[in-house]
Amino acid sequence: MGSAKTKKRAANAAIYALLIIICILWLIPFVLILLQSLRAEPYSGMSGYILPRIWGLKNYVYLFRETSFPVWYGNTLIIALASALLQTAMVMLTGYGLSRLRFKGRRFLMNAVLVLGMFPGFLTMIILYYVLKSAGMTQSGAVPGLILVYVASSGMGYYVAKGFLDTIPRSLDEAARVDGATKAQIFWRVTMPLSKPIIIYTLLTAFMAPFTDYIFASYIAFGEPSGYNVAVGLYSWLQKDMISSHFTAFCAGGVCVAVPVTLLFLLLQKYYVEGVTGGAVKG
Amino acid sequence: MATVKLTNVTKTFDKNITVVKDFSLEVGDREFVVFVGPSGCGKSTTLRMIAGLEDISSGTIEIDGQVVNDLEPRDRDIAMVFQNYALYPHLTVFENMAFSLRLRKLPHEEVYRRVTEAAAVLGITEYLTRKPKALSGGQRQRVAIGRAMVRDSKVFLMDEPLSNLDAKLRNQMRAEIILLRKRINSTFIYVTHDQTEAMTLGDRIVIMRDGYIQQVGTPEEVFERPKNLFVAGFIGAPQMNFIRCPLKKEGDRYFVVPFGAKMEVGQRKAEILAQKGVQSRSVILGVRPEHITAVEGERPYAFRARIEVNEMMGSEFHLHTVTSDGTDVVVRIPTLALSQEERHLFDAGSEIAVTFGGQAMHVFDDVTEENLCV
Repeated sequence: MGSAKTKKRAANAAIYALLIIICILWLIPFVLILLQSLRAEPYSGMSGYILPRIWGLKNYVYLFRETSFPVWYGNTLIIALASALLQTAMVMLTGYGLSRLRFKGRRFLMNAVLVLGMFPGFLTMIILYYVLKSAGMTQSGAVPGLILVYVASSGMGYYVAKGFLDTIPRSLDEAARVDGATKAQIFWRVTMPLSKPIIIYTLLTAFMAPFTDYIFASYIAFGEPSGYNVAVGLYSWLQKDMISSHFTAFCAGGVCVAVPVTLLFLLLQKYYVEGVTGGAVKG
Repeated sequence: MATVKLTNVTKTFDKNITVVKDFSLEVGDREFVVFVGPSGCGKSTTLRMIAGLEDISSGTIEIDGQVVNDLEPRDRDIAMVFQNYALYPHLTVFENMAFSLRLRKLPHEEVYRRVTEAAAVLGITEYLTRKPKALSGGQRQRVAIGRAMVRDSKVFLMDEPLSNLDAKLRNQMRAEIILLRKRINSTFIYVTHDQTEAMTLGDRIVIMRDGYIQQVGTPEEVFERPKNLFVAGFIGAPQMNFIRCPLKKEGDRYFVVPFGAKMEVGQRKAEILAQKGVQSRSVILGVRPEHITAVEGERPYAFRARIEVNEMMGSEFHLHTVTSDGTDVVVRIPTLALSQEERHLFDAGSEIAVTFGGQAMHVFDDVTEENLCV
């Protein structure tokens, strides 16, 4: 018996050792970026050392005082917040409709969405650009354009939401109907309060994608800095002629991008997990 | 005043599966009607059609003389209790019960008064601030009933409200429903698959099978004068015994001859058989386990049966016996008057002679399965 216990302990120790190594590997890039962003020496290109020789917030001050970073950051926040709200509305409404209503073509619609969803979104890039350009939503008008791109087809990502809504018993809808509620009242007073985890999950994922998107954002801004988001803007500093003067500022920008997302996840991770595991809410 | 009238109501799913067929019934004001039948007989569907949760394929449903076929549930003035309670998990007990009142925008004092009154009647006052998750099954069911009570509806619909409770709680809640029914002046329609609930609760019982009504009657009627073999078998526990045997007419008298024993059919039943002009033929004889008695020695009016299993139920034995031709016959023997030695006569493996009185017999047509004595 004693040996079984020791064996188990040894196995656990091995597993934890492995997990710790993975954690360190995982965290190294973040730590390095943080350290680089705190370098305050005059040379702000890439360096061959890890710990800053002079510590300071010089890069952050520079970032917000002398570059377009605040504009990009603002663009990104507007795009991400707007997309998150609109996308969540679209996803919840689509999920609710497909979960609760029975109409002709429902099956076909769900299959069609599944098949369409298999094509990578980038296939539509060129045509999207022309459509948006004709509406004046490229380059300096990239912010509304990007919001439109992120929100337009977001209803197609209804699966997780529908799966969650399917677990809310239909008898609750029926009880509410007998109690005198209209369809809208059932949605707002019964379904939505019970869907908190999935709403937060959808908000988070819908916030994340635009917040870190590069491909669409760079394509639609098309070289016009006022239409950049942070990813595109910061990446422009990694070009050959910029990197030697902007590398530490780039790192500071990276930290600024990571902070809100990290905070959001820390605050909402409970709901996030509940949202993914779906059926966790039961009467 | 609240009557419910169903006329030729039919429900068809997916164009070809008919679950309720030509259902016609009038439920009187303040009557308590129970729909009973095995699962899949259409009883719940019928109730849901009355509630407005299912469309009606054909026929009409009237509540208080008004055709409600196309009315939404909220316009029918009905309250309903669901099998799985269907309480709103995010609301407290108070808010669950107040939900319908708030939707109707009743003044706060009125909502408070009605909810606290109903809670007091149901004994759930102390749980009003809790969420349903923190309640036991019985308490949840009370809340569900309370939620329906506060509405003062014309018609009270209950869909197997007790089937999720354990046996003890079920008995207790059954008694409470009887009391509740005396307190509120509604018309009740109650669905169950449990014949005991049907017998104890209903003013009238509607027995259903495969979408058709088999019989409508008071508990007494369906127990004593079942219209056919199905009703006879469904009502009463343990189930009625069915024995294929000849029926013999001798002058004005009728005899059944199960396993060679000759027993006379009771006078009232014989008169009905004579009126119908029934001649000697083969029939299915029905007799309830509690009407069978054991007799000593060989008698011409008794047949022998071997005891396979003896279930001691406390106040009585349930004997599962097999007759000479392999027919199963269940016999209930009260134990109170039996001495210890006598009890051993009913040990598994022993043989007994059994008989029953003429009034206890039910005689069914062996082809149509209709009761020939009603």
